[in-house]
Amino acid sequence: MKVHVSLFANLRDHAPSGQGRFELPLAGGATAADVLAALRVPAAVQVVLLVNGRRADSAALLHDGDEVTLFPPMEGG
Amino acid sequence: MHGWCGKILRVDLSQGKITSEPLDPQVARDYIGGRGFGIYYLQREVDPQCDPLGPGNKIVMAAGPLTGTAAPTGARYVVTTKSPLTGAITCSNSGGHFPAELKKSGHDAIIIQGAAAKPVYLWIDGGRAELRPAEHLWGLSTHATDDALRRETHEKAKTSVIGPAGEKRVLFAAIMNDRDRAAGRAGVGAVMGAKNLKAIAVRGEGEVALADPAAFKAVNTKYREAFKAATKVNPPALRTHGTAITVVGTQAHGVFPTRNFQQGTFEGWEAIYGETLTKKYLVRAKPCFSCPIACGRVTRIPEGPYQGEGEGPEYETIYSLGSDCGVDDLAALTKANYVCNELGLDTISMGSTIACAMELFEKGHLKESETGMPIRWGDGQALVDLCRMTALREGFGDVLAEGSLRLATRCGHPELAMVAKGLDFAGYDPRGVQGLGLAYATSPIGGSHMRGDTAYFELLGVPVTADPLSWEDKPPLVAKWQDLFCVIDAAALCVFFSVRYLVEQNLMVSPIGITELLNAATGAGYTPEEVEKIGERIFNAERMFLLGAGFTRRDDALPPRITQEPMPAGPAKGMVCKLEEMLVPYYRLRGWSENGVPGKDKLAELGLI
Repeated sequence: MKVHVSLFANLRDHAPSGQGRFELPLAGGATAADVLAALRVPAAVQVVLLVNGRRADSAALLHDGDEVTLFPPMEGG
Repeated sequence: MHGWCGKILRVDLSQGKITSEPLDPQVARDYIGGRGFGIYYLQREVDPQCDPLGPGNKIVMAAGPLTGTAAPTGARYVVTTKSPLTGAITCSNSGGHFPAELKKSGHDAIIIQGAAAKPVYLWIDGGRAELRPAEHLWGLSTHATDDALRRETHEKAKTSVIGPAGEKRVLFAAIMNDRDRAAGRAGVGAVMGAKNLKAIAVRGEGEVALADPAAFKAVNTKYREAFKAATKVNPPALRTHGTAITVVGTQAHGVFPTRNFQQGTFEGWEAIYGETLTKKYLVRAKPCFSCPIACGRVTRIPEGPYQGEGEGPEYETIYSLGSDCGVDDLAALTKANYVCNELGLDTISMGSTIACAMELFEKGHLKESETGMPIRWGDGQALVDLCRMTALREGFGDVLAEGSLRLATRCGHPELAMVAKGLDFAGYDPRGVQGLGLAYATSPIGGSHMRGDTAYFELLGVPVTADPLSWEDKPPLVAKWQDLFCVIDAAALCVFFSVRYLVEQNLMVSPIGITELLNAATGAGYTPEEVEKIGERIFNAERMFLLGAGFTRRDDALPPRITQEPMPAGPAKGMVCKLEEMLVPYYRLRGWSENGVPGKDKLAELGLI
């Protein structure tokens, strides 16, 4: 299956070809943790992770066509 | 005293008299400073039914005990007064360098009362203070005023000024310090203008005395080192891109207010968000006094019709003058922001009022014969023009200057003003951030997110995780967060450090970190429980002032768009804000009646009766 991934700010450093938004092929039954692993995001890097606009943890199960958004914790103002 | 200077400057503009009075140590202990001092003096000395633009209103400008020390973000002050926009209390908050300079001059706070017959400015030079004529400054922009003041007083003086908008009593005029930092909300600048006080200039060369310098250094170092370590692996997005990066979070959650809160996602978001601002217009990051984050933006538009330079835009401005108006032209939005800073206007209320005008115009409730010009979604040039016209009360700007609720009411559609208690919302749609809806509705100043910014835990999961779309769990979280924000505002620290970096060590659910810093600076020997109680005291005292001003439970409300119209699209599709379901348990756990009135037991417990 394929998910759409959007990376922002320092998370962009992990984009496979420098583009902030791209498609990522994954095996069926993949979770958000598999996205982080595929992008080689180190465990120490803090990530706010959304799946289809809802905050999710790394155990979240993914489906074909899901929107996965990754950004660092940030504050409004 | 330590941390506190122990001195309040009282400025009677009617009599042209300035007196110095001692800060009561018990008041200092019980209210801490900043927002705490604001409500302490306002509740004692101002009739909550007074005319906000009349001589009976007062302005309290108060720093905190940590302002001017090396505490991370020890940079802020709070301006408290009765608001001419809302009729409620308002406490407006700003950073920069003026507040620290006030402490270095030996003053914790300034109380401004009465009104001068002719424009004046206040010059505080260490222990000396005087009122000087300001007719030659009247009409000048905030930047030109700062330039002139530093020529006349001291080149290193720090200033807090109003622009033409405050002079003309635009109901959401701001007080601008250090040129581009804003005490923005609810028209504090209009109150200053009505008193004929153009500016305050201050110069101080003292140092804030610390009760236990060694302990202070140890605590300070602990937090700064933790920040440095954390940011090695996680460069703060705030420093790289400013608050403008927040668009990512709100757009992704579907709560980025678009076209007067009609939608929660904006198709033009990428053109106006942080990474685009960095690429196109950023000159450099800029910190406030004693701040390791540096979220400030020095920016420049080098050419074109919106050419200019200044600071910002912040996230709130990108919402209010951007998505909320359907504007995806970053140059136009940034130029409008510069105009607001130079003329002294709150960008949030300015943008929200224009957005309201746009919806009224597009729906035919406002005619071009009244406005003199088309006011349509996405018109960047109109945006810039309307900001200037509003600040100067020219043409239709004179109507906009009264704010969104009066505009919408006069057009027969008050429900189209996106406000609570008459104050325009911040850049989060409560249909997708349920707890923030309760916070907007119960904030003593009206629709502000900074009276308990629950977006931290609802959108970011910091310090606890909460589902932004749930409401049953929100009342206790909102109440606690509101009280903790009172503590931050009383200590006069910046939320960005207080929440984010104290949280890393799990200290924010109880204010252990702030208590450590307060004790090392002041020697007060607080416990975190006592400090949290002070937060609750401040919040309840503000509530009592609000009730005295004539507000009731009916005013703890949100527009029907938010409580009845389902979000049309995006991750929060189908949601309305469940305010009524949250209000009843919220009142109960606060010890308030079902009419939202603090009970006698609660007031006695907090020492308020």
